[in-house]
Amino acid sequence: MSALAWGAVWGLAAGLVIALAALIGVWGERKVAGRIQMRIGPQELGPFGLLQTLSDTVKLVLKEDITPRAADVRVFRAAPLIVFAPIAMSFAVVPYAAGFVPLNTSVGLLFFMAVPAISVIGVLLAGWSSRNTYATIGGLRAAAQMISYELSRTLSILPFVLLAGSMRPLEVMDAWRWWWIPLTAIGFVVYLISSIAEVNRGPFDLPEAESELVAGYFADYSGIRWAIFMMAEYGGMVVAALFAAAFFFGGYLGLPGVLGPIALILKATAIVVLMIWVKWTFPRMRPDQLMKTAWKVLTPMALVQLVIVGAVIPWL
Amino acid sequence: MAVKRNGNGGEARATGVEPRHHEVGAPERTPHVVPITIDVSNDFAGGVGGFFERWRSLLTGLGITGRRALGPATTVRYPREKVTLSPRWRGALRLRGVLGRDDIPIVSGPPTGYNALIEGLYRDDRLPPCVGNCPANVDARGQGYFLGEGKAPEAYELVRERNILPGVLGRICHHPCETACRRNYYDEPVAIRPLHRYAYEEYAKVAKERLAPFPVTREERIAVIGSGPSGLAAAFDLLQLGYRVSCYEKETKPGGALYSGVPSYRLPREVLHDEIDNLVALGLELKLGVEVGTDVPIDYLLGEYDAVLIAVGLQESRILPVPGHDAEGVTGALPFLRDANWKGDAGVKGKRVLVIGGGNVAVDVARCALRTGASEVRLACLEGEEEMPCHPWEIEEALDEGVIAMCSLGPEEVLVDEAGSVRGMRMRECISVFDEAGRFAPQFGENYTEIDVDMVVFSVGQAPVLADVVAGSDISLTERGLLPVDGTLFTTAQEGVFASGEVVTGPGSAIASIATGHEAAISIHRYLRGEDVAADRVARPVPVYAKYQPATLEGVEDQRRRIGMPMARPEDRAKDFRQVELGYTHLEALDEAARCLRCQSEVCVGCTFCARTCPDYAIEVERIDDPGARTVTHYELDLTKCCFCGLCAEQCPTDALCHTGQYELSFFHRDLAIFDRHEMLRPAEGTRATGRDAAHADAPSGGEGR
Amino acid sequence: MSVEIESRECVVRGDGGVVEQLVVNVGPSHPSTHGVCRVIVHLDGEVVTKAEPVIGYLHRGIEKMAENRTYLQVVPLTDRLDYVGSMYANWAYCRALERLAGIRVPERAEYLRVIVCEMQRIASHMMSLGSAAADSGAATMFIYAFDQRERIIELFEELCGARLTYNYVRPGGVSFDVPEGWVETALAFCRTHRAALTEMDRLYFGNVIARDRLKGVGVLSAADAVAWGASGPVARGSGVNFDLRKHDPYSVYPRFDFDVPTGSNGDCYDRARVRLFECYESCRILEQAIAQMEPGPFRTEGLPRLLAPRPGDAYDHIESARGSLGVYLVADGTPRPYRMKVRSPAFCNLALLPMLAEGHMLSDLVVILGSLDPVFGEVDR
Repeated sequence: MSALAWGAVWGLAAGLVIALAALIGVWGERKVAGRIQMRIGPQELGPFGLLQTLSDTVKLVLKEDITPRAADVRVFRAAPLIVFAPIAMSFAVVPYAAGFVPLNTSVGLLFFMAVPAISVIGVLLAGWSSRNTYATIGGLRAAAQMISYELSRTLSILPFVLLAGSMRPLEVMDAWRWWWIPLTAIGFVVYLISSIAEVNRGPFDLPEAESELVAGYFADYSGIRWAIFMMAEYGGMVVAALFAAAFFFGGYLGLPGVLGPIALILKATAIVVLMIWVKWTFPRMRPDQLMKTAWKVLTPMALVQLVIVGAVIPWL
Repeated sequence: MAVKRNGNGGEARATGVEPRHHEVGAPERTPHVVPITIDVSNDFAGGVGGFFERWRSLLTGLGITGRRALGPATTVRYPREKVTLSPRWRGALRLRGVLGRDDIPIVSGPPTGYNALIEGLYRDDRLPPCVGNCPANVDARGQGYFLGEGKAPEAYELVRERNILPGVLGRICHHPCETACRRNYYDEPVAIRPLHRYAYEEYAKVAKERLAPFPVTREERIAVIGSGPSGLAAAFDLLQLGYRVSCYEKETKPGGALYSGVPSYRLPREVLHDEIDNLVALGLELKLGVEVGTDVPIDYLLGEYDAVLIAVGLQESRILPVPGHDAEGVTGALPFLRDANWKGDAGVKGKRVLVIGGGNVAVDVARCALRTGASEVRLACLEGEEEMPCHPWEIEEALDEGVIAMCSLGPEEVLVDEAGSVRGMRMRECISVFDEAGRFAPQFGENYTEIDVDMVVFSVGQAPVLADVVAGSDISLTERGLLPVDGTLFTTAQEGVFASGEVVTGPGSAIASIATGHEAAISIHRYLRGEDVAADRVARPVPVYAKYQPATLEGVEDQRRRIGMPMARPEDRAKDFRQVELGYTHLEALDEAARCLRCQSEVCVGCTFCARTCPDYAIEVERIDDPGARTVTHYELDLTKCCFCGLCAEQCPTDALCHTGQYELSFFHRDLAIFDRHEMLRPAEGTRATGRDAAHADAPSGGEGR
Repeated sequence: MSVEIESRECVVRGDGGVVEQLVVNVGPSHPSTHGVCRVIVHLDGEVVTKAEPVIGYLHRGIEKMAENRTYLQVVPLTDRLDYVGSMYANWAYCRALERLAGIRVPERAEYLRVIVCEMQRIASHMMSLGSAAADSGAATMFIYAFDQRERIIELFEELCGARLTYNYVRPGGVSFDVPEGWVETALAFCRTHRAALTEMDRLYFGNVIARDRLKGVGVLSAADAVAWGASGPVARGSGVNFDLRKHDPYSVYPRFDFDVPTGSNGDCYDRARVRLFECYESCRILEQAIAQMEPGPFRTEGLPRLLAPRPGDAYDHIESARGSLGVYLVADGTPRPYRMKVRSPAFCNLALLPMLAEGHMLSDLVVILGSLDPVFGEVDR
């Protein structure tokens, strides 16, 4: 019973964190994209337009929730939650501060790799249940893409397991040394690219390719359901950035004690900005090129990284 | 990744298409081969270099967007920063003024300030073309306005301000105003000259009541030598300024060239005398039959008067020095016309007459010859049919009456019989009259023609005779017998002596002479006031107006056409000196005056040209043309149809219709997008067509249309 | 028009196997159709087996409307043919009319026309490059290109008071002379534009992802380009060296020194890059034209407002941003054309789509459509 209560509390907390992250993330994306495109971005609501996203959220919540007539109603309605829940769960294994991780499990890294991957099912369901050709194609693309990049992403994390000898996040953080940064540089590149692909962001936003598939798997969603997809995307981006900040850049280790989380957030913010920067700079890939990149470039690179780390370990 | 050119760029270009300077729009020979000079394909090199380049390209891209992100933003912080629009912005339309609410501005001012007025209007692009093209800047627009309102005497007085003899000029003027009339764009020009005549005829009925001498407010006295158009114009202006003016005329009848040079079938003598009598009634002292130089020495005038204006015109006809030019039967145009006009007989009864020359005077001579009984009248000129210097309507009327025109012939020799009188004329073919630079340089061919005639009249130019006038004074003439005069100020070398009219300008039109008279009057006024005569004086601005190509009259309703001048039948009129043009009736004149577009007045007169040119048929205009109650009753713009092409505002002859800087055209109801007359007249402020943000005075209004 | 499309259909393959195909209806309202084009796409997986453009969604009957408008009233209609390059249709129409009515155009007007049309070429190519980039997902390149276009649009606004439908080139000249300071702004634009072009070249065409997206996609052979009547950058991208400014020099173009960029592969990359390089050349022409332009009248004065050419016909064409744009006019002596026909390059180029798209992926379809740069105002007319 208490586990369930704790679960509820954590779930609520995670939901709020994700909602906040999405709010700030959308605002940040608008601002960064605006700056890149020589614009100002949101500026009217709140200081620096910070409340713009909030008002958009209110608008989305109040909008009519449309379900297409041809849709498979129950699946259609469930799909956003299936996408969102695993992303929310993955927040639980991020080491936020020294000695604090919400879910201190011995398979933390594995959890982080495995759980968000479940959301691909939601994406597939969303695309399929809409009974829309665009959505169908988007869903199928998403499935292929997320499964392909799951491999390289997992491989890029493995060096930390090797280096720390543990999959428990806090133990990895305890073992963390500054020279891990140059050592795992290639791994970071692979992780970053794979994560972008994993959360369907440009230049890997094929499932929702705006210019081809209009909005891909969520083409028929509106209102709050659409917002949940968006929140999942930004939540995924934030958690991927938090995770990278923690393991590739030492997370809370930069600043002492209580300020640790701030270091983590700063590092994660930098990574999020980098992801946004990449999205607004590059064109989108084609499905076959996407596959090629995953299997022919990123996976070998991740393996090379693994070999390098493996070769270094005996000398430690 | 700069431009990659194949081979040497310079060489590649040298083998390219040679720049050929051709007439714009002329058909071109088409080249078949044009070398390719730029190949746009370029690839990453293969291999390892390619791998690095591929990754580097990603960083390059990030670098470019990153740099841009740090640069300045170009977004407008709307709505705090409003968009600025260009002055030519084609926003919603509005009217500046409308007939029935706003009056047409009248171009009127004191003689001394008139030029500045015209210049100011010209600078502001508010000068109606008819006024601008008239040498004397007669306000033909104002005349049209008054006549349309049924106020003929006012129209006459307005015209008289600048054109002292509206009744006379209304018959003989070469009407440059009509040439510039903007109505030429649409159908036919407004009949401004016949309307002068109509105004005179109406004025003559009330002249007695309206004529009162100008009050004499100044002591100086001025003598004007010559009672031609320019002398009278100067006299009129000076009278208006309060001077006392005496006009000396050597003939017994006043009018100068108007009397002796203009045939009475064009200008009835009663009209001329009546108008000059009007001037006398205004205070002019006319001294007829007094020839300055012989009867009165000019030195006497200089002593008696404070200023003297020489406006004697041209008295002598040039005769070409061809062999036989001194034979009996060879004469000049001026003596011929003087005889015909004064005596009604030029000694040509039953004779065959050849007129040499292609100008207006030559045509007058030819038509006079017909009327004085010549059996056959020919007119020979150097120029071809198209380039004859006379006005086309003149030669047309002459041809109607039976004059035979022979173009492209130059005089070679007057053939003389044993008795020493003319028996014929040998003419030589003329190939071209002007050289490439446009100078007069006739080229003759080898073909000769002989014409049997009894009389030859040379009408090839005139010269002044001044020796008598200035005899016994300090005024000196040039070697060619001309008076040295400043062409802008009309002053002579002698202080207090001025000159104007054809003495200064050479042969020209009556209205141009009048214009010089006005200028001379200003000089005299300034001289007498002791002011600087030359200060801020410029040659009067005469804008160059387009030469209109004939407009198609298809689909133009009858009531929009120019009202044709009723004419006497050619077979009747060629026999005597009765008037050829019969004049407008009252109704015709009102209709014709209503045709005037009131150009540049910024008052919509409901001409409907905007409605006609609108490609979307978004404009509806209706008006009432009753004299005294003329108004635009209905003006409706349907903004739901408007495509903002701007054709209507460009067409608007009065400049009343114009674009605003409004671009926020959102309405609560579709009907609000239909602008009626009232809405069109509302001052357009701010950016919203509903005028909403004009209320927010604190908001800086960005879109400032014209 | 409403056609029910079965979203799945079975096709018997050559080897006897049966493939279930997905039929996707792209457009007429779709982000990448550059207007209101509808393409019925048959997909085998992601591969296009058949793409069938359906046009006519923007048909306004402009050619027929012209028969009920006076010659001057037709000019605003031509604005709405190619609304990305209004100046071209204006000019082509006016050239045909001037030929028909024997109107001579003052030299300054010809220079002004060249200047605005070269600017329009830059603006139109920026639109094309930007939206082609957006088709492949590069939203920022789109904005950069539109920033450049905006500079030109602002200049046009200064010049004639409109930003899109200029109604600037008129029978016998142009509607306005350049305002004060305009020429300097235009020259300054040329300088900054070159830098911006180079930057765009590096940002987009140098980018490995864009190259992979564009290279070898929608290859059009030179022979096909000629056979299908392609013109403009589409033909030149395939190596067909055909540019009316060189091959049928009109107006004052023979006086300028400029090059014709051509591609060699005929793929989307070459087509798009031809446009980019044409912008460099347009800058060169602009600078020369501004240097050569002398004061004078900017339109034939005294042309009657109601033109009524003598019965006859005339055809004239110019090199628009999309290719050879021709207008054929028949006059019957009345103030209204008896017939107007527009030879639209966008229409001819769009006809290539089924051929080019076949065998490519759905993602490539939009890129190919973008590289053909159709403007549906001109396709449908």
